[in-house]
Amino acid sequence: MLQTLTTDFRTPRAAPSALNTAPSQRYYVYLLAPAILLLAAISLYPFFWLIYMSLHQVSMSPNQPDVWVGLANYAKLLSDKRYLEGWRLLVVYSVSCMILQVGLGLLLALVLNNSRWEKPLVTVFLMPMMMAPVIAGLVWFYLYNGTFGWYNWVLQSLGILSGTSILGSTSTAMIGIVVVDTWQWTPLITLIVLAGLKRVPQDQLEAHMVDGAGAVRNFFAIVLPNLYPFLLIAVLLRFMDNFRFIDAILRLTGGGPANSTKVLPVYLFEVSFTNFNLGYGAAIAFTLLVVTIVIGMVLVSAFTQPSLQQKH
Amino acid sequence: MFRPIKGAVRRRVSRREFLQRGGALVAGLGAGGLIVGGGSTIVSTRVQAQSSDDAKWKQFSGSKLVFMSENTPPSFAIRDNLKAFYDLTGIDVEILTDDLPVVQQKVGIDLRGGSADFQLNYVQDKPIGAPFAEFYADMSKFIGDDSLPQDKDGYGAEAWFDNFLDACGYYYTRDRLVALPYDAAVACTFYRQDLFEKMTKDFEADYGYRLEFTKETTWKQVNDIAKFFKMMHEKDNSIPYGYAQHQGSFAWTTQLDIQRMLFAHGRWTDFNVDDKLGSRTPGKTNWGDPQSVLIMEKFKEQADNSHPDNLANGTLQLNTVYQAGQIAMQVQYHEFAASVEDPKTSAAAGGKTAYAPCPRGEPSWIVNGGEAVNGTNCGIGGIGINANASEDLQKAAWIFASWAVSTNNQFSVLKGLGGTPTRKSVLAIPEVGAARERPTAMPNALTFDAVYDYGILDPNFVLGPKIPKSNEYHQILASEVQKCLAGETSPEEACKAIQTQLDELNEA
Repeated sequence: MLQTLTTDFRTPRAAPSALNTAPSQRYYVYLLAPAILLLAAISLYPFFWLIYMSLHQVSMSPNQPDVWVGLANYAKLLSDKRYLEGWRLLVVYSVSCMILQVGLGLLLALVLNNSRWEKPLVTVFLMPMMMAPVIAGLVWFYLYNGTFGWYNWVLQSLGILSGTSILGSTSTAMIGIVVVDTWQWTPLITLIVLAGLKRVPQDQLEAHMVDGAGAVRNFFAIVLPNLYPFLLIAVLLRFMDNFRFIDAILRLTGGGPANSTKVLPVYLFEVSFTNFNLGYGAAIAFTLLVVTIVIGMVLVSAFTQPSLQQKH
Repeated sequence: MFRPIKGAVRRRVSRREFLQRGGALVAGLGAGGLIVGGGSTIVSTRVQAQSSDDAKWKQFSGSKLVFMSENTPPSFAIRDNLKAFYDLTGIDVEILTDDLPVVQQKVGIDLRGGSADFQLNYVQDKPIGAPFAEFYADMSKFIGDDSLPQDKDGYGAEAWFDNFLDACGYYYTRDRLVALPYDAAVACTFYRQDLFEKMTKDFEADYGYRLEFTKETTWKQVNDIAKFFKMMHEKDNSIPYGYAQHQGSFAWTTQLDIQRMLFAHGRWTDFNVDDKLGSRTPGKTNWGDPQSVLIMEKFKEQADNSHPDNLANGTLQLNTVYQAGQIAMQVQYHEFAASVEDPKTSAAAGGKTAYAPCPRGEPSWIVNGGEAVNGTNCGIGGIGINANASEDLQKAAWIFASWAVSTNNQFSVLKGLGGTPTRKSVLAIPEVGAARERPTAMPNALTFDAVYDYGILDPNFVLGPKIPKSNEYHQILASEVQKCLAGETSPEEACKAIQTQLDELNEA
């Protein structure tokens, strides 16, 4: 029976001549047109508009035309200390968040995986992620408050903080915003890693254990290599998020004190929507976009490397 | 629980029909949403000069306006009282409120984008008025228009407290009136009289003069008081710190904090322009001169002796610190007296707090010549009309603006949530006069001696630079002053950095 089915599949009956004709190229163009038009409207048009703005001194007033300035906005970036400092702070912020979140997320996932309380605990851990970032910022703003903030009181009672609150010092404000981001987004990493852990092949683990490998060796030899693709997805998502999500930072510090938390997207927001210098803001946004795309491409290319492919 | 009724005719809906109905529903909801969310509507009935007052008030009955405002007491109180306006005019007004930086962004996009989603705006003098002045309607065209209702107290400079109309009404020229004074936040000193009396002996032993605060008290004495209280706090932490600054995240309040100290010393200003009118081309800044460097040094010294959370405390947080009894003195905006005098939320209530003008300049700290004054700055919030709105919408908006700043309205706000009047006529009301003394039902009135009778008058009044790039200016100042206070730069470096950036900003 199986033989018969296979044979039938390999030698199908001749299709009617109308269906046998390969569709023309125009046919595919028609099929793709709605999607391309939609993509163009929501993505390509703003992208080219961004480039246009970055080459102009933009007037928002309908009565005043935009003025062509060529690459002047880009040239200004090189001498703008706050722009360069914004990059440095963004790297510090993103890398710190990434290390903490991946480390904690992985740890939590390993602890939770197949545990008796996995489902209820995962639900509880996911709660911060469900909160709008601006609300998270507001909640932590009050928790950190030097006068009535509970966390501030705890940290001062433990002697970790002196009289200055965590957001009130240039040396600790960055830590404050990293903690908030970690609190909110570690559950995402946990969730992704948990999904990855479910796909770690049990036969490989068992075979390795039969060979005498312990839990730690098993983790590094079998579990971690199988988790790489999942971790890469998590890192990619969070990296891009950190380049975009500034709601909590705006609420917590507004980029202060003394610009110590003014990561580049916060500076971009200030230039564009407080100072309404849209041309210069577009130049900043374009450089941010380019770097985000490059990082994205590097991470995506890592997926395709055979050494990082999931082992089945 | 839910059973089909016996005998009922049930009809199966086909997938096509379902999609058709769904599509129609979505289209209907979308169209409805556009109509509802469209913001303003205008309905007008022509009136003549001879028409009755009632007809003039009601000429735009059925219209709808949107007012974007800061979340301050007058807007809350007026929102609570909108029915009275609706009954008077038939105009429906929606008041949206938010934090000032958000208001600034929203109205900025609306104004500069050529839209009129918010026909009425809260025009805070420097953050909103200075950069967007040209986008507001000239209100002088409505004043004296006999087809529109007019306030019996008028709208000229004499109707408002000194300098208020200049502060929020005029920008770079007196040919256009951009806004009418709507509310005011004027700086004055709040201090714990009970603690001052209790500790005066110790203080006198150390510093040789009484621990008290008068309009003659100088910034040098404030620094002494801050230092003394800090020393006492370190011995006994139940004793509060002496002072705290407004160096939290909002750039404008940070700038105001050092500005009043600078102005107190020889009436120093950032630019050599008409301080009340402002300038589109302010020229080179005075930052970096010996006077600014000296005051920056003293300001840093003050910060070092102040409450340690200086760099986290914005204006609101600072007031919370004072309410919590953690500092003995603050220079604060007079609108906060209501919260300080509320025994439910404040340890400084119940007659413990006294109010005085801002500290005076220390003569020995004046190096540029000039006099020592009680430098007093403020934020005067105006109400302005979006010039992108149609002529009829602008007239309807004028009716609301005129009503909102009327004496009766300001008086009711003062009695209710604790407003800050801008019309002189409010102070002439006997009930308000009586409220200036304890016990009072209008706590903000306790500050009126320091504010309206002294602080806002020349030569003490300083507005600060009204320049088109005022927001950039505030950011530069806040960043560099905070860096200095955090010990990252020296006072001289900070002043020079401000000078370089401001000159570049203004292409001077």
